[in-house]
Amino acid sequence: MVSLLALIGSYTLTARLLSRPDILPTTEEIAEALGALLGRGVQLTAGGEHAHHHHPSSAQMETLLQEGVTLQGALAVTAGRVLFGLGVGVPLGIVLGLLMGSSRRADDYLHPIYILARSVPPLALITYIMLWLGHSEAHRLIPIVYAVAVTMVIPTYHGARDVAGKYVEAARALGARGRRLLLEILLPAAGPAMLGGLRYALAIAWMTAVGAEMLMAENGMGNLLVGGGMWSSRLQTRSDPAVIIVGILALAAAGWAMDAGVKIAGARLTRWAR
Amino acid sequence: MMTWLSARRAVVALVAIASLYVLAAEVGHGRLPDRIWMGAHYVENVQLLPTWRSLVEEGTFLIESNILLDSIAVSTRRVALGLLLGSAAGILLGLLTGSASRLASLADPWVTFFRFTPALALLPLYVVWFGYGESSKVLLIATNVAVITFLGAHHGVCGVPRVYLDAAASLGANGWQRFQKVTLPAAFPSIFASIRVAAGLAWVTIVVAELINAQMPSLGYLLALAGAYPRVPTMLIGLATVGALVLVFDLLALLLHAWGTRWMERAA
Repeated sequence: MVSLLALIGSYTLTARLLSRPDILPTTEEIAEALGALLGRGVQLTAGGEHAHHHHPSSAQMETLLQEGVTLQGALAVTAGRVLFGLGVGVPLGIVLGLLMGSSRRADDYLHPIYILARSVPPLALITYIMLWLGHSEAHRLIPIVYAVAVTMVIPTYHGARDVAGKYVEAARALGARGRRLLLEILLPAAGPAMLGGLRYALAIAWMTAVGAEMLMAENGMGNLLVGGGMWSSRLQTRSDPAVIIVGILALAAAGWAMDAGVKIAGARLTRWAR
Repeated sequence: MMTWLSARRAVVALVAIASLYVLAAEVGHGRLPDRIWMGAHYVENVQLLPTWRSLVEEGTFLIESNILLDSIAVSTRRVALGLLLGSAAGILLGLLTGSASRLASLADPWVTFFRFTPALALLPLYVVWFGYGESSKVLLIATNVAVITFLGAHHGVCGVPRVYLDAAASLGANGWQRFQKVTLPAAFPSIFASIRVAAGLAWVTIVVAELINAQMPSLGYLLALAGAYPRVPTMLIGLATVGALVLVFDLLALLLHAWGTRWMERAA
């Protein structure tokens, strides 16, 4: 808490000393941008008599307010994409990881293909997916799912092969089969490794979501950061650092909150391990 | 890891995937739609699954015209520079905060902040700060790399067992000797593992970073151009090139890891 205040204090001081608001906005400007993005801009889009005479501080802010973009709205859209990516990608990655980790034969065949697939940056796939599926939600969601699944494979794989391997052998010798082996031995033993992977996949999912939105989306945090419009025109409007900093802070807070949630849930789920 | 896998089965799997693609492309040739709605207009002559012939044709064109090699050189240089700068800064900081607990509490909020900031979100800010040129691309990669290697170095140093340090001290090692002979080697595995992760992420970053003030010899822009026309053979060759470079960097990082930890006993 003290260190957080120190962080804010040192920032304020640096911004003051530099006194170049076009590069490093002051803390007040950032707070103002935060207020405007949190919904005081609604009055602007409503048209007619503005009850609130707040003039948009920059071109980027003006565009965003005209489009009716709010911080909580954009954050909700991005969080929704992140959750979708996790919801589909995590089970996919776990299934593949368990398969490769528990069967030597599957590992021999699938690992080389996995290494190839992992090497392709998910964001580079966007345009190719778009050709196949058209301009839709799919080409924003598939890269996130892909990135999450690829990230989840390795920790699950090592959990299943290196940690659970011995227990699985022992349970097999004692006669455990199928469902029971999976639910009572393999998953709990690989659990801690998978949770570590999940926390990493979470960060990757946020990054991919923001990247995909910066490239091709009309909403979400990535769009808020680059200030609306398509990428080609996004380059021409000069960005407002205050808006970007507010967006980054919101993303950091959201990522931190989700990570804390996973940590708490994970600690409950793996209580037996301690 | 590769020795652990059966080479014969790996070849079978890769050949199977390749022939599956060739087969799909031959079957799809003429059957898949070649007229595609691109949001605002139709584009003609799109090969959704280019046959191996058109891939080879496009590949020879891209190589003969030097486009591909120039792009590889430019993008690799950016990634390598960013990796060097970022890991130097990140590892140094991590070693510092790991060894001095007072510094750790000072750096803590910054680390938490950077850890949960998607690195790509910094891109527009870096454009404002460092302009459209080379520096904002390299620095974006460097930041991304620095955060990961910092965490690796920090946790590596914190994870050194107290007993090792005490033992070294009782044998008469001074502070610098303890750091050099005990802390540093013991933190190596964690540091090199983080470099490996960072190398992969650096390539993810460059694909987006190269869209700012995009200029031709660069893989990111090659991909973007191929997407804009759209020209699928170029796109697939670009994807494969980036994938191959990621593999090469991963292999280099693995070698570095093996070299840095060669004093350790090998389990496998």
